[in-house]
Amino acid sequence: MKILIIEDELGLQRSISQYFTCEGNLCSMASSYAEALDRLNSYDYDCILLDLTLPDGEGLQLLNYLKRMNRSEGVIIISARNALDQKIEGLSLGADDYLIKPFHLSELNARILAVVRRKSANGERHIEFNEIRIDLDAKEVLVSAKQVYMTKKEFDLLLYFVANKGKVISKSAAVEHIWGDDADMADSFDFIYTHIKNIRKKLTDAGSRDYFQSVYGVGYKFTGV
Amino acid sequence: MKLFTRYNRILIIISLFGLLLIGFLFFRMLVYYLNQQIDHDLVEEVMEVKEYSAEGNFYQPHEFEDLVVQYKKIEKANPSSSYGDTLFFNPLKHRKETARYLRTELELIGQPYRVVVIASKFERQEQIRNICLIILIPVMLLFALVLLVNRILLKKIWTPFEQLLKNITAFNINHERPYEPVEMPVAEFRQLNKVLVELSGKVKSDYNEIKLFTENASHEMMTPLAVINSKLDNMLQSNVLGKEDGETLVELYKATSRLTKLNQSLLLLVKIDNNLLQDEEKINLKSLIEEKQVYFQELISERNIAVESTLADVSISASRSLLEILINNLFSNVIRHNYDGGKIEISLKTDKIVFANTGHNKVLDPEKIFDRFYKDNASEGTGLGLAILKQICNRQHYQLNYSYYQDLHTFTITFSHQ
Repeated sequence: MKILIIEDELGLQRSISQYFTCEGNLCSMASSYAEALDRLNSYDYDCILLDLTLPDGEGLQLLNYLKRMNRSEGVIIISARNALDQKIEGLSLGADDYLIKPFHLSELNARILAVVRRKSANGERHIEFNEIRIDLDAKEVLVSAKQVYMTKKEFDLLLYFVANKGKVISKSAAVEHIWGDDADMADSFDFIYTHIKNIRKKLTDAGSRDYFQSVYGVGYKFTGV
Repeated sequence: MKLFTRYNRILIIISLFGLLLIGFLFFRMLVYYLNQQIDHDLVEEVMEVKEYSAEGNFYQPHEFEDLVVQYKKIEKANPSSSYGDTLFFNPLKHRKETARYLRTELELIGQPYRVVVIASKFERQEQIRNICLIILIPVMLLFALVLLVNRILLKKIWTPFEQLLKNITAFNINHERPYEPVEMPVAEFRQLNKVLVELSGKVKSDYNEIKLFTENASHEMMTPLAVINSKLDNMLQSNVLGKEDGETLVELYKATSRLTKLNQSLLLLVKIDNNLLQDEEKINLKSLIEEKQVYFQELISERNIAVESTLADVSISASRSLLEILINNLFSNVIRHNYDGGKIEISLKTDKIVFANTGHNKVLDPEKIFDRFYKDNASEGTGLGLAILKQICNRQHYQLNYSYYQDLHTFTITFSHQ
């Protein structure tokens, strides 16, 4: 997968590319409007991460450009501004998602995968991981073709972990993923443990292997190895 | 007391006293003048008595003169005379009347006599009364007229001032509507008005600047926070971290998350202040609360908190995002400040929502709990949750009250209209 990161904050740019490069992806970087335009003229990408405030131009103009050129890349806006208008404007200009800074890289990853999946013409509407099959339309989880009942939060969480398979997800990121940012629950990190425990139990009861690993007490990893 | 009333009261008291004093002095002057005149007449009568005596007669006044002359023989005439007031029987009118007398002792036809000349004051008194009335009635009328005109004029002059007062009271720093100037015919009021317009403009722009500053500062902090967050996420992928590093990372994540929440809350406050959330629609509060209760279910059951809810089927029209934040904050507040095995009571009626919870604290200061950054040290929250609650209630014109009753911290939101 080829990803273009348009972001003027170099620290963040490097972090994102570091996180994604090791997955067999290819990350290009641009830290200005001109640079971004240059890259877009030369290459095609699967997904573009776009910061709206660039030193030499508005990120929204790039959206206009992409639209004019009939480009099919998935675009995710990453912005410190969560102004409603900007979000709506961005989405109406053809952005596929809008992520507000600060965000967790695992969250960004999940969003990228969702966007790319939506964009691909014969998009698979299910995800498979060994004996686990997740149906995205019916919101069902099947273990060896046997349905496992899960609550909405458990389903979202499992999907999140599968999307970030092989990566350690911090409890903080997991909490934010299911609670969003409106729930003021910063002190409830440990509570994510109950959710993971329930998911693990449901999956293993259905005959799946246990793919969850607890890491340093900071988070969990969903991994086949 | 209103300025108007006070002014009128003082004016009336002073005018009445002044009028009484001047009336009294005027009356005394008239009486004095009258007595002088009568005394003068009396002296003339005595002269006449003397003239008559020179011709060997005793003078008797004409019947129509309201005058009596009395003669009395005495041992020896002492040449002195005295004036005074007296009552006398008017033989002409057959009644007693007030009168002036002149008593003198004279040699009349070789004999010493005490002569007393008495003149009635009746008619002169009538005159005084008439003079007084002729003067007093117009003065009183004039006085009444002045009061009336004064009243009307004052009311008219102060009307714009009262409008001005009303406008100041209505002025709200949070509202879009600027301070409305009033048309002022009076120079002083006009100046006051001008000063108020300038002042309100300054207050508004200062306030907006603070809001803008808060907004920008919070936004600017988001990018470094994003860098920290992403670096932590990458660090977490390392295979060489030890247990201690893990603990450090947990703390770092927590601190970053708190800082992020704090920033988001500040931005949310500004957003509510700027009235940016205007997605007004009809909202079924019952289903919203039930939905949120499911949302928070794990947190509640994790701590063995019992929830008692009685929800009426109530719909109100309001901003959906604001109401969601409102209910979210109420829930997180009653969960966060509860103890394990505690209790939450939720009640929804047509005119109010009540959230009550048990908690470690005794009664809290209702004056302070809605202040920004007011929290007890044990709380890991941002200290902005209740401030946001208050702000939303202000914006939606709901009343927010805190009370402590039977070991329950109770938050009541009353809808003023619906």
